[in-house]
Amino acid sequence: MVASEYDAVIVGAGGDGPVAAWKLAEAGLSVLVLEAGPFHGNEKWPKPHEDPGGEASSSIEDLSGELLDEQFTTREFEMVNKLIFGPADHERGFYFRKFPGDGAILQCSGVGGTTLHYTGNHPRAYPASIDEQGHWPIDYADLVPYYQEIEEMCEVAPAPVTAKEELFFRGAAAAGWDLLDELNVTEPGYRPQPNAIRQPDEKLHVDADYDGDFQYPEVEGDTLALGNIAGNPHPRGAPFEEKAKRASNISFVPPALKTGNVTIRPNAFVTDIHTDTWFGDDPSATGVEFRDTWSGDKEDVEAEVVVLAAGAIETPRLWKNADLPENDWVGSGMTIHFGDNVMGLFEGADLDGTLGTDTVDQFQGQDIAARFDYPGLGMLQTVGTTPGLGAILGFGASASGFTFQNDTSDAPWDTMGRLAGRELKETLAEYRRMLQILVVSDDRPHERNGVTVVPGVSDENGSIPLVNYVPSDGDKKRRDELAEIAAEILREAGASHVHRSDSPPTALHVQSTMRMGKVVDTACEAYDVDRLFVADHSALANSVGGVNPTNTGQALAARTAEKIVDRYF
Amino acid sequence: MEGNNVTRRTVLRGVAAGGGTLAVSGQAAGSSTTFDTHTKITFRAIVDAVLPETPGLEDSLGAEHVPGGLAVDLEAFLITYANDLFTFGLPYVGEVGNIPIASPVAAVLDLAAKELLAEGDNEDEPSVDRPLSLLEPEDESAWVVRFVAGTFAKLSRRDRLRAIGLLDGYELELSPVSGTVFEADAGLVGQLVVGFAEVIYYSEWEGYDEFTQPPSQREHANDPAEVQSWRQTGYPGFSDGYAALRGYVGTPDGPLGGGDVWTEIDDDGAVLVTRDSGHFRENDYDTSDYEEPYPEGA
Repeated sequence: MVASEYDAVIVGAGGDGPVAAWKLAEAGLSVLVLEAGPFHGNEKWPKPHEDPGGEASSSIEDLSGELLDEQFTTREFEMVNKLIFGPADHERGFYFRKFPGDGAILQCSGVGGTTLHYTGNHPRAYPASIDEQGHWPIDYADLVPYYQEIEEMCEVAPAPVTAKEELFFRGAAAAGWDLLDELNVTEPGYRPQPNAIRQPDEKLHVDADYDGDFQYPEVEGDTLALGNIAGNPHPRGAPFEEKAKRASNISFVPPALKTGNVTIRPNAFVTDIHTDTWFGDDPSATGVEFRDTWSGDKEDVEAEVVVLAAGAIETPRLWKNADLPENDWVGSGMTIHFGDNVMGLFEGADLDGTLGTDTVDQFQGQDIAARFDYPGLGMLQTVGTTPGLGAILGFGASASGFTFQNDTSDAPWDTMGRLAGRELKETLAEYRRMLQILVVSDDRPHERNGVTVVPGVSDENGSIPLVNYVPSDGDKKRRDELAEIAAEILREAGASHVHRSDSPPTALHVQSTMRMGKVVDTACEAYDVDRLFVADHSALANSVGGVNPTNTGQALAARTAEKIVDRYF
Repeated sequence: MEGNNVTRRTVLRGVAAGGGTLAVSGQAAGSSTTFDTHTKITFRAIVDAVLPETPGLEDSLGAEHVPGGLAVDLEAFLITYANDLFTFGLPYVGEVGNIPIASPVAAVLDLAAKELLAEGDNEDEPSVDRPLSLLEPEDESAWVVRFVAGTFAKLSRRDRLRAIGLLDGYELELSPVSGTVFEADAGLVGQLVVGFAEVIYYSEWEGYDEFTQPPSQREHANDPAEVQSWRQTGYPGFSDGYAALRGYVGTPDGPLGGGDVWTEIDDDGAVLVTRDSGHFRENDYDTSDYEEPYPEGA
């Protein structure tokens, strides 16, 4: 049993919940974090997908790098199945969410949440997206000190260059774009990713003739073996806190537990929010009900404040299922960084001329280590994938049918659409000579897009979420222009064939469903429910310019934690 | 258009309520065996279209590029995977609480195939010879396949893909254990039979002794000799690391990059890859001249 009462209960130990937990606990509050998924790398749960294990963890002594090594195999298919949003029990499928078209929602459950498979990218929002687009009631300058705090905690640094980044930078430079060296980006250009991944040991330089193994402590930091989407436990053998990728389970959970004030209870799905109306005015949150995903048992816990950090799908779903006051903006305005994939295929001889090697070998280096920024449009980033994920992300889905159904004679790409059959096999045969660019657009919050619940259609946790997403003409134009820039960069880099997926809407970055200024105030406390705060990406007022949202979500969560202490403690 | 969607939805509701496949294919009666057989034949046809055997690639790419998904029994795993994909049930019933969707998926594919034919958008005539050609020695007899095979399996490979492409406009109804019927977008079917088939095939999946084992009991040799798709992509297997560092991008005078120059990125040496890393600049910023490239409409 966890205790029956805490100063703060946080719903969700994803990318942002642990940040709020750490800050609140540092301020001396007692904190319970309830997480729907498992706790990997914790001795209380040696087989987190097979046995219920322990109940809760409150000590840093529970964390084990050895267990993380065992559980995070880096095998792509297995890890996707372990991490995608669902109950811990491996015998059970994912939780169902209805999503339009043949797109998908890529969120994880478990302590660390979607940062377990994020690629470590930690850029800041574009300042103009906060200050000029008219969605945010606070200024970018308000966020800067929190960015600095988060970047220090996550050890954000310029990402290293391997073959695929060098190829991209050559293409971007040849296309006439400038190298950017700043954190606060206001002009278009390319740069290394600001990544929350420790830089690799210099002995891993291609000229250093390293022939040792890649085990800690022989090597420290990143080992350039891809694998971030699959959890990235590298370097193997390292203690929990010395893993290279600073996902929130590595960067914020240990300091939170070190305070002695935090308890994390995994396998606990919050199904209701308790409120009381003391003065006939707005209700106040007083606690939550949660459900053990193994036993089905329900428990209640009381708290002075309740902090929702269940992610931009589950946070509004919980609000709606908890029967809190109606607010049209709860769940509305969802942005997902409406994205696309543009692929370049290269001839070996051409690569030899530019890179000094006749393959790109995208499985080497960090997954996403180079980027192109364009405030007002969004971003491009190079992506290295293992072949299965590369197949589904790059070729397995399209909003415009199969390649043989599309005439591309006047297009900047040679082929467009979904690949299957002989064409798929021919293309994947070139896996070692391809460079994938992910297009991420600055889509805007539209009221029609978002999360509702389906009355009468319930799973064990309540009415299931129904997600709607239809991009606007502006969203499509921003994406199209980025795709054209990507194609040009690939051509300049020497690609002999360029393929565009025209991907269906796929929710890689889900945000802005409980928007600041609409559902929550500038401290991220709900307008309609006192003592109920939102500390996840759903509180973002827009899509932060189309840049990876983790840094901004965490910075805002850190700020919200301070506001909570100011208001109520 | 709206009316059309309503019609489709109504049709598919009938499918789910009527027991799936047999209602769709118009057979008079059937046992769960024929039900399973129809699903198996349909999934075989899916895999044959998405990841076919390609003898034509032998000369250009090599003999290792010839076998497709059927050679590694991808269809059998795809059925298992589809049936375990989503959970709806109570925790204590474990995998029994998952929603078995393989048969409804097969049924929906037949509907899509019928629509393709009705619209006249097929390039080839359907033929029962196609599912028969995918028979293996230990399979059902030919007459069972003739009896049970649905329209989808009778289409040519390209027409099967065209039929899958029609699904985004459909709604699919699934019936979880609680008895509650709910709708899913049938684009899910396309995602499952194309996207998931591709990710499974090209992943490490084939290399497990048995993927359905508990995670801690799975064995994987991490050897391309054990994974057909890895031999076709040249992927060497998972690694703990690579000595692949070239350095850090930077400029001669800027804060990014540092130390010896390893290579120049552009012709005039303005952008370099250097041995050491620098840092990003905490810059002042001014957004007052920001203009929306594509303003949102009113």
